[in-house]
Amino acid sequence: MQLNGEHVLKAPRKVVWDMLMDPDQLVKITPGISELNKIDKTNYEAISEIKIGPVKGRFTGAVELKDMIEPEQFTMVVSQNSKIGNVKANVDIHLDKVGNGQTRLTFDGKAQMSGLLARTGSRVVSGVANSLTKQFFDSFEKEIELMNS
Amino acid sequence: MMSNRITTTINGQSVTKEVEGRTTLSTFLREDMNLTGTHIGCDTSGCGACTVLLDGKAVKSCTILAAQVDGSEVKTIEGLAQNGQLHPLQAAFKEKHGLQCGFCTPGMIMLAVDFLESNPSPSEDEIRHALEGNFCRCTGYHNIVESIKHAAENMSGVPA
Amino acid sequence: MSFIGKSIKRVEDKRFITGKGKYTDDIKLVGMTHAHMVRSPYAHARVTKIDTQAAKDHEGVVAVFVGSDIEGIAGVPTGWQVNFKNGDTMKEPPHPLLIRDNVRHVGDAIAVVIAETKEIARDAADLVEVEYDVLDAVSDPKEAVKEGAPQVHPDAPNNICFDWALGNPVEDVDAALASAHHVTSLDFVNNRVVPNAMEPRSAIGHYDETRDHYTLYTSTQNPHLIRLLLCAFVLGIPEHKVRIVSHDVGGGFGSKIFHYTEEALMVWVSKQIKRPVKWTSDRSEAFMTDAHGRDHVTSAQMGFDENGKIVALKADTYANLGAYLATFAPAVPTYLHGTLLQGLYTTPLINVNVTAVFTNTNSVDAYRGAGRPEATYLLERLIDLGSLEMGMDPAEVRRLNFIPAFDGVNQPGYQTQVALQYDSGDYKPVLERALQMVGYEDFRAEQAKSSSNGKLLGIGFSTYIEACGIAPSAVVGALGARAGLFESAQVRVQPTGKVSVYTGSHSHGQGHETTFVQVVADKLGIPMEDVDLVHGDSDAVAFGMGTYGSRSLAVGGSAIVKSIDKILEKGAKIAAHKLEASVDDLEYAEGKWTVKGTDKSIAFGDVSLTAYVPHDYPEGLEPGLDFSSFYDPANFTYPFGCHIAIVEVDKETGKVKLKRFIAVDDVGNVINPMIVDGQIHGGLAQGIGQALHEGTIYDESGQLINGSYMDYTMPRADDLPSFEIDRTVTPCPHNPLGVKGAGEAGCIGSTPAVVNAVIDALWKGGHQVKDIRMPLTSERVWEAMNN
Repeated sequence: MQLNGEHVLKAPRKVVWDMLMDPDQLVKITPGISELNKIDKTNYEAISEIKIGPVKGRFTGAVELKDMIEPEQFTMVVSQNSKIGNVKANVDIHLDKVGNGQTRLTFDGKAQMSGLLARTGSRVVSGVANSLTKQFFDSFEKEIELMNS
Repeated sequence: MMSNRITTTINGQSVTKEVEGRTTLSTFLREDMNLTGTHIGCDTSGCGACTVLLDGKAVKSCTILAAQVDGSEVKTIEGLAQNGQLHPLQAAFKEKHGLQCGFCTPGMIMLAVDFLESNPSPSEDEIRHALEGNFCRCTGYHNIVESIKHAAENMSGVPA
Repeated sequence: MSFIGKSIKRVEDKRFITGKGKYTDDIKLVGMTHAHMVRSPYAHARVTKIDTQAAKDHEGVVAVFVGSDIEGIAGVPTGWQVNFKNGDTMKEPPHPLLIRDNVRHVGDAIAVVIAETKEIARDAADLVEVEYDVLDAVSDPKEAVKEGAPQVHPDAPNNICFDWALGNPVEDVDAALASAHHVTSLDFVNNRVVPNAMEPRSAIGHYDETRDHYTLYTSTQNPHLIRLLLCAFVLGIPEHKVRIVSHDVGGGFGSKIFHYTEEALMVWVSKQIKRPVKWTSDRSEAFMTDAHGRDHVTSAQMGFDENGKIVALKADTYANLGAYLATFAPAVPTYLHGTLLQGLYTTPLINVNVTAVFTNTNSVDAYRGAGRPEATYLLERLIDLGSLEMGMDPAEVRRLNFIPAFDGVNQPGYQTQVALQYDSGDYKPVLERALQMVGYEDFRAEQAKSSSNGKLLGIGFSTYIEACGIAPSAVVGALGARAGLFESAQVRVQPTGKVSVYTGSHSHGQGHETTFVQVVADKLGIPMEDVDLVHGDSDAVAFGMGTYGSRSLAVGGSAIVKSIDKILEKGAKIAAHKLEASVDDLEYAEGKWTVKGTDKSIAFGDVSLTAYVPHDYPEGLEPGLDFSSFYDPANFTYPFGCHIAIVEVDKETGKVKLKRFIAVDDVGNVINPMIVDGQIHGGLAQGIGQALHEGTIYDESGQLINGSYMDYTMPRADDLPSFEIDRTVTPCPHNPLGVKGAGEAGCIGSTPAVVNAVIDALWKGGHQVKDIRMPLTSERVWEAMNN
């Protein structure tokens, strides 16, 4: 499944970057993620609960950040396993300055699923992914507003 | 496992049983009550083979927990014929060759019982629409539709 | 009393409409345990570690077995061998009951957990820890043969199982195509479909230690074949120690022909744990492991002369067989597909080439029609498209190309370019009758006007032939079958004249308990109530090859007729003795033997009683009235027909509405018209389903991404119109009932008719689209109109 999108955030690139690197902020803005534990600078353990179609699962997974060029880009590798199936995703994230102290966040990647998760309901996953993306950016904006106020 | 004590009426008989919280009505009927006429054809509530009447309404018994039917009345295919007399829908399915392998048949008939109560003289389109939650892989639905039409004609004027 | 040809209501219905059917999962045995399989979530991976300890420790678990526990047990075999063109033996990798090293498709079984309840088994299966080293996978057959593609089996280079060709020399075909007036070329995919019998497969193994005897209850179309494969090829148990029981089976459509790993596994497990064990597939497992159908990628050319007469046909097909060879898999794209490419037409030059390919997907094998729908799709798409391209009427092009009528008695059978000899056929009447039912002239007029209201009307044709009544053993043996395809029947007349009939055919919806009884009661002139049919139990029925390939009545029914003939022959001797007449002076009718020209007669029941109480009895004649017969057909049977679809395509959305479907089929003589009609209806729905709704999707990593009823679309009642059907009758000249078989016809003819109708609609709307990949979803049709 392809994962891509972009959104312009009302904050400078450095602020956005720092927020993306802060697990406490990420837990707040990422839908479905209930815990994000930093293992080291580039590795996290993530616990998420997601419902897709008929499939509801609690996933424990690993998030690795690599190819980091602060504050421009990084690649996020997510691998999660659960009894209902496994997910492996590779997402490139780019931050571009767009003037007025704003930042365009672009992401482009691919997710592969297996098991029951792939078989049942996977065709609604892209819809779910779109709505999760929207929630993510909405929350991101709220956090930025909170910081600004 | 958490268990629940339920009392329910199944095909006119009052039954009290302990059931696990996760036991579906379909499993309860088949495994605990030995009512194997209710069939399980899928795991996503998509096929309708497990359709039974719960307080007179057709439901997919794989989507209802046994614990939920406490105090309710359940009717399965085994309870449809009365005093050895086939229900008009049962008779119509035989008359119009509305079944082949028979696996979807109990669900089809139970669904149709509820449907004809609410719509005693349906059009073909209405029948086909009513059947859309139930799969049949044998008949192409042609003779199931004919069977329900035929039953509706036979039942008209007769109180359900 | 005449029963043949009458729409007698089905005898078996009573138990089904009252919920008293007995499917395998309905059976409970004392002390029975429950199995749950641990299956691979990956399409291709090396299993690096299996830890079953936590599962074994779980309360209520009886045992857990993995591949290393069944060391020395062979996998399930395939029943057909097709060799490479160069004579090399096909690649036949093992299909183990439990995987030890590499998993090769999503759903490959790694372990089995046995527990006191189904729920505990499922819970404990979640505790089995399997570690995988995930490998690249391939799911598309044309990708699989490329250099560098992931290898499914190390000993099948380029994933090729075999290559195969049939017909006239390819250079002759190429030359004819090169000089043809018009050549229609089409590259297309015959989409993979999931059979989806409504009853999920189920198997119960029961080992009886005191008798050293095994019983397998299983949802199969052919109990004796399963016994043969299980005993001789997999577990090495003597056949007399095994009983296979297959009571009611909730649909098969081919998918329950094959000997599946779970069947052998349940038998083996039962011996280990000394208790019965039941496994019932859930729907999700069914999607992953019930053998799928179709999945051909084909490139074909049909050449026409200036009048529209076909001069040559060439076809090149890549057939996806999945990761393992199922029971009939090698036969489907070859002898059940290539041999049908003559169709109903006089095409003088035909060449077909097939490459059979392994991929990281579930097995592909016979699904209703098995090879013949693929052949029909190929031919009928090309002839309809050729007609459009040449600006000719597709009905007229067919008339022009039909093989002239032949009855197989006064005229010989028709020898095709692709090995088969058709038995009898009269093809024009099915087309003419179907055109009449459609109101063809009026339709074309309406079609011309339709585009103004936002809808495009289209009509699609399919005039098909199939080879059924499978099959003459010597012929299929020469073609690679590892079994004979005869059928057996025993007719046992009880002392009181009641009759028990034992057939090796198996009914899983076809209504044998009615049709076969009609035949017996009719031939013996006794009431149907006096005849009972027994099937689906290898201890009751001597032998059998089962039900598939539209063979039950043509082959199984013929075996019954042979036994009835023997009954009547012996009965006549007893009757002659009792009537003090010569056998030659007797005639049999209405259930009694009568001395011709007199009123002296003796009833069937009196003769039966005499046979069992032989006090006053012909000298030297054995007592009893009980005969078994084996019938091996002289040829295949060749039903045919004309299917016409009328569709309406929404110009804005691409949505296809099937408005009408007309089918005129010729299945030879008909025993029970109601049941034949029902078989046609069901086949039509499946064929239409393939065209408009169904399609199995494996993504590039080999994940099955529509493996549930939320994701895989099957036709529902409101997707289909009521069907308009009729038939002609051209009797089969070589079997005693003159029947040809009706089980697959609907599914064979209908698919191309629907697609042709959509293509016709688009052409009439100005979109000269050659092909849309099935299933024809709104999205695909819209894209075809808008790019």
